[in-house]
Amino acid sequence: MSWIPFKIGQPKKQIVPKTVERDFEREYGKLQQLEEQTKRLQKDMKKSADADLAMSKSAVKISLDLLSNPLCEQDQDFLNMVTALDTAMKRMDAFNQEKVNQIQKTVIEPLKKFGSVFPSLNMAVKRREQALQDYRRLQAKVEKYEEKEKTGPVLAKLHQAREELRPVRDDFEAKNKQLLDEMPRFYSSRLDYFQPSFESLIRAQVVYYSEMHKIFGDLTQQLDQPGHSDEQRERENEAKLSELRALSIVADD
Amino acid sequence: MEPKDREQLGCRRKNLLFLRPRLYMLERRNTDTAVDSMAAGDRAGPLRRSQSDRTEYGQRLQEKMTPQAECCAAESLTQEEEQRTQRMMTKRLRVIQELVQTERDYKHDLELCIREVVQPLRDKQVDGLDVDTFFSNIESVQQVSATLLSLLEEATTDVEPARQVIGDVFLQIKGPLEDVYKVYCYHHDEAHSVLESYEKEEELKWHLNHCLQSLKMIYIQEGKPNLLDMGSLLIKPIQRVMKYPLLLCQLRNSTPAWHPDARALEDACASLRDINVNINELKRRKDLVLKYKKSDEEESLKEKLSKLNIHSISKKSKRVTNHLKILTRGESQVKDSTFDREEKIFRSVEKMVRCCLRSTALCLQHMQDAMPLALRCVMQLRKIALSGDEEPGPPEGPQSPPNPWDDFAAQLQRQVLGPLGALLSLFSGPQKLIQKRYDKLLDYEGGAQGGLARREFEALNAQLVEELQVFNRAARGLLLSCLHSLLALLRALAGQARGLYLAPGGLQVPPSVPHISEIQSPVLEEVHSLGFVKDNSATFIERKLSFEKKKPAQMLPETRPQTDTHRSRLLSVYSAGELYQAKRRCNATQEQDIPLLEGELVAVLEQKDPLGSSSRWLVDTGVAKGYVYACFLRPYDPARSRFCDNDDDFENISLFVSSRPAGDSGTDSGTGDPSSSLGGTRGKSESSGDAEGFQEVEEQPGNLTVSLNAAAVRTPTVGFPLRLTPSRPAQIFYAVHAFEARSAQELSLQEYQRVHVLRLCDLSGNEQWWLAEAQGQKGYVPASYLRRMTYA
Repeated sequence: MSWIPFKIGQPKKQIVPKTVERDFEREYGKLQQLEEQTKRLQKDMKKSADADLAMSKSAVKISLDLLSNPLCEQDQDFLNMVTALDTAMKRMDAFNQEKVNQIQKTVIEPLKKFGSVFPSLNMAVKRREQALQDYRRLQAKVEKYEEKEKTGPVLAKLHQAREELRPVRDDFEAKNKQLLDEMPRFYSSRLDYFQPSFESLIRAQVVYYSEMHKIFGDLTQQLDQPGHSDEQRERENEAKLSELRALSIVADD
Repeated sequence: MEPKDREQLGCRRKNLLFLRPRLYMLERRNTDTAVDSMAAGDRAGPLRRSQSDRTEYGQRLQEKMTPQAECCAAESLTQEEEQRTQRMMTKRLRVIQELVQTERDYKHDLELCIREVVQPLRDKQVDGLDVDTFFSNIESVQQVSATLLSLLEEATTDVEPARQVIGDVFLQIKGPLEDVYKVYCYHHDEAHSVLESYEKEEELKWHLNHCLQSLKMIYIQEGKPNLLDMGSLLIKPIQRVMKYPLLLCQLRNSTPAWHPDARALEDACASLRDINVNINELKRRKDLVLKYKKSDEEESLKEKLSKLNIHSISKKSKRVTNHLKILTRGESQVKDSTFDREEKIFRSVEKMVRCCLRSTALCLQHMQDAMPLALRCVMQLRKIALSGDEEPGPPEGPQSPPNPWDDFAAQLQRQVLGPLGALLSLFSGPQKLIQKRYDKLLDYEGGAQGGLARREFEALNAQLVEELQVFNRAARGLLLSCLHSLLALLRALAGQARGLYLAPGGLQVPPSVPHISEIQSPVLEEVHSLGFVKDNSATFIERKLSFEKKKPAQMLPETRPQTDTHRSRLLSVYSAGELYQAKRRCNATQEQDIPLLEGELVAVLEQKDPLGSSSRWLVDTGVAKGYVYACFLRPYDPARSRFCDNDDDFENISLFVSSRPAGDSGTDSGTGDPSSSLGGTRGKSESSGDAEGFQEVEEQPGNLTVSLNAAAVRTPTVGFPLRLTPSRPAQIFYAVHAFEARSAQELSLQEYQRVHVLRLCDLSGNEQWWLAEAQGQKGYVPASYLRRMTYA
């Protein structure tokens, strides 16, 4: 398995045709890549779900902090603003929760189920490999005896070796055939399998962001005096800041 | 007056226009007084005639005096008194003249200054020269002065001296006067320090001097070479505003009590003095504020220590006692509810800004984490779900998707976090001052230094109350505006993100949730019905089960312990040389093997197995006959038989032999290879660590526990054949292929070269590399390149 560089020169009779071996490697390679992809995706999805939750939690925290401030009791403007913001944030959180649940159900769980097939595949491949090794070894042994002088004990051993070889070879061939047959089927099944998950994921995101957009759009309309442009607002902020800085009680360094 | 007016600058004319209604009022009032005096004059008719040689002023004076004079006869008015009033009126006239003249000069000076210095400097726009802090609102000062001058001229020109009312002029203009001069004086200090800093820089200094020179030229031409430098130019308005009360005071003193101006002058004098006091107070407050604001900053520990003297200690301790007093008494004596309210708001705003800043920043960070991650997930899933066998070309998918959140983050930084951060940094100054105010309050209540503490407290308090209100209002406005921005940004972000997700999907009405599982479950079932899945998952489970069941079941049939009768029979039948003892317990691994328990006695019938391998011997245990690995046996020594248990270091030999895969040993035995045990080890090491290797072990449940330690003990076990029989040919190998050493640690080999293998692993226990010796050289060679020498 390791020491690939040394394998090259190894004198070995090709017992498995090169094309078969290549097909096998290709199919298995694709599946390995797929496994890798699903594993990574599964991990990322989980991380993403966590991050989403953390995000909406922190967003809710903004408004909660503000709401608990004593200033809200004194200032009606502020109270209105902050309550509205709080409502919006909570709704956003709820939608986010729903989105995460949805994704969990339609993406992460199917992923997990699909991923659970891979250990079987790997085991099957390993068994094939093992069978192949056995097959090779026995084959080599048989050949060794065939080359030798045909004395009595050698003939006995040759016979024994051939007897041993046969079931091993059959075993290997059965395994090989099965895998070569089934791996592509498995590989192509992912398309049917993941298509709905993908659509569902997109849908969840789109629904979520549409809702967000609506919520915040309503909120800005509800609160905003005639829509200020960003530049206007920036200028106002700058003006306020310089007004503050001009005060003698403010340290201006 | 009219022609003079026309001479004035445009700005002044504008000013006069603005003041026109007032001027009308003034005129009306003047006529009122004129009517009064006319009435008085009628009654004083005869007297006036009798003193016709007197000056006009004298007559006016008489008019005022007459009511009494009429009643009490003209003689009561002594000559002396008349002279005195006359003197006063003369003096008054002089003072008024001086006032007007100096005001005119002053205004002229200001105009010149603006024309020759301020405007050129402003036009040049020299880098680093801040004309506005330098001259502050000198233009407004000039305007006020011009207005004042016009009013004065109006009040004096063509008006009889007895009816000139100067006080009213000042009372009229006192509002704008105070405002304008306050600003100017307030900034004068800064201007002064700025001037000092400018004089250190050559270029700026040159510019200033250049302007100053032209100004000087003008002054010299006018014959007034009294201009010294920039500083004297700057301080002129301040000098002027301080001069007003003095002049008015002088005027008042020289105005007789009966004069219509007397009362107004009194008021004007007082209010001008107030203005000066206010300006002073403002400056003092500012100084105080600056002093305390600076006090804690940029002060090293050393400086703090040096300030720690008896005085400060006693002050501090007094404050502490006062503080305790207040705490125990409950209420402080001095209360300022406005301040308390503003302070509360101030603190709330500060807390709010801080909270808002922190949680928004946190939220932004989470967003930056979450959103790209979510998109990446979508991309990955898309790749899995949609790509065919061949990878679709990159242009199809949005390779570098536009990043709405980067933009969002930048915007948020600019519109929310930036301003809030800036705002937050402004809170420290007022905080320090509030603290200081409290200290001063304690001083004041403690009555420590009486007047001083009180004045300082009041100054601080006034400044704080005034500015905190402004501060709070602005800070609140800023915070609100930031929240608005935040909302707008979130909305925009949501919109963009939605667009982003809609683009790659292009989906219609996506199936609902139950629908998905309906689609997916048959696919999954199909997958599960695939051969390899079924086989392997089934065996997997089976093995697990068998592992649990077999354990007790297998033990029973195979262990038929040797009894003493068997033992004695063996001793009697076989000679001592043929007798061996099992060093360790060993399990049967192949057909015709027999299991042995530790210490069991066996008689060796043949020292090889049917295939000629000498590693397995045919033995008789008295119970049965079968094959056993020779390495488990040692010659029987009756004397030692009792203590035979712990004499060797190969504690785990049994484990490694018995855990050999069944298939391997089967083939090994076919070759008659004496190193089969090594082969077993190698085979195992290759597969150990994965599930397969583990299952091999599971087939020998009895040894499960030890075999788990196999990795740890592998090195000694591998080494054992060499140590057991050091001269065995087993360690002579030959090279199957040539190998070229890549480093000094490795040993080059030629094909078919004979080597002695000294160790079957390298230093780190890797069994792919063996330590070999050939032609006196030692080094590592890859194990797969070596074959054992056989003597067949």
